[in-house]
Amino acid sequence: MTRTDRFLVPAAGVLVLAGLAAALAAPPDRLQGNLQRLMYVHVPAAWLAYLSFGLTLAASVAWLRRRHERWDRLAASAAEVGVFFTALTIALGAIWGKPVWGVWWTWDPRLVSTAVLLFVYLGYLALRRATVDPVQRARRSAVFGIVASVQIPVVHLSVLWWRSLHQPPTVLRPGDPTIDHVMLAALLLNVVAFTAVFAVALRLRMRLARQDAELAAATTALGRPLAGSAVTVPALTAAAVTAPAVKKTIGDRT
Amino acid sequence: MRARAFVVPGVGLAAVLAGTLTFGNLNDNLVYYLTPEEAISRHTAASDGERFRLGGLVQAGSVEPTAEGVEFIVVGESGAGGVKVVHSGAPNQLFQEGIGVVVEGEWQQDVFVSDTMIVKHDEEYRAPETEAEVDAP
Repeated sequence: MTRTDRFLVPAAGVLVLAGLAAALAAPPDRLQGNLQRLMYVHVPAAWLAYLSFGLTLAASVAWLRRRHERWDRLAASAAEVGVFFTALTIALGAIWGKPVWGVWWTWDPRLVSTAVLLFVYLGYLALRRATVDPVQRARRSAVFGIVASVQIPVVHLSVLWWRSLHQPPTVLRPGDPTIDHVMLAALLLNVVAFTAVFAVALRLRMRLARQDAELAAATTALGRPLAGSAVTVPALTAAAVTAPAVKKTIGDRT
Repeated sequence: MRARAFVVPGVGLAAVLAGTLTFGNLNDNLVYYLTPEEAISRHTAASDGERFRLGGLVQAGSVEPTAEGVEFIVVGESGAGGVKVVHSGAPNQLFQEGIGVVVEGEWQQDVFVSDTMIVKHDEEYRAPETEAEVDAP
């Protein structure tokens, strides 16, 4: 455990508890009642999906510029955590959608674009597994990570660009958020708490990725014969030392 | 250049895809629902029985329970249009006057016969102000 972990892990725990208390203490919605409380987990999960894939984009650009393994590991770890939070967003959205909308799923632009986001980043993870050479893998996935990030604004703006069932943004919009300010405070607290949990998960994943790379490097060296091991040292016998013919053949070969 | 072998077809493919999405008018399949005005203007005798989604607001004072479900009038955001909807099946938990709905069904003469109802809520979240509102689900 590093010093950052010693601070970050308890901080995340306290924030999660505070967020949970705030989510339960906030007033219910006028129309949706207690169902609206799902917002306090659905929205932070969606925010972390955006943040993760944004980090993958930034780390991919950084790798292409600096070519340092660290950036590649950050891109990979952020994408993996992002896939988890995207799936969580869809699942929580379905649980919210069933009682409020009346359906678990519908072919609405926001829902479809989020599902595409999930599958494209699953493709990113598959690409990483399909490429063995570390440098080639880093280059290919950096390009993929940059291109795939185009979807982040598409998902966010899908509710404004197309007619959708999903409501337009409440908080990330110009002007005053159209939400009761106690609810908004509870929502923002939960966003911070989820982000702290995300930071812990990301750090753990990056450490695992580093150890994985070290292990791979060590085992690759272990299994292979050393260069030149096919050449055996000639036995020094009295005959070999005295016979000049042996020396001559070696000299000819060079 | 090895990269060119990928970049040129890639850009071409992206251009075709973007063009199709922009100008292809993919048979209106990209539109999640039609507004009441659009539904009325496209309604012909021949289009009876064609399924589509209709979205709008439930007009205040128009909701009437029936033996099979519920009847109401859907109007556009501006209050224009006005399509009589005959819905069969239990209305949703949040169904009420003034709320947004997306109903799926077809024209049968002058009424829209629907069997699937989705409630569309807006982006406003407010604390209840009256006793009746506190009892929301």
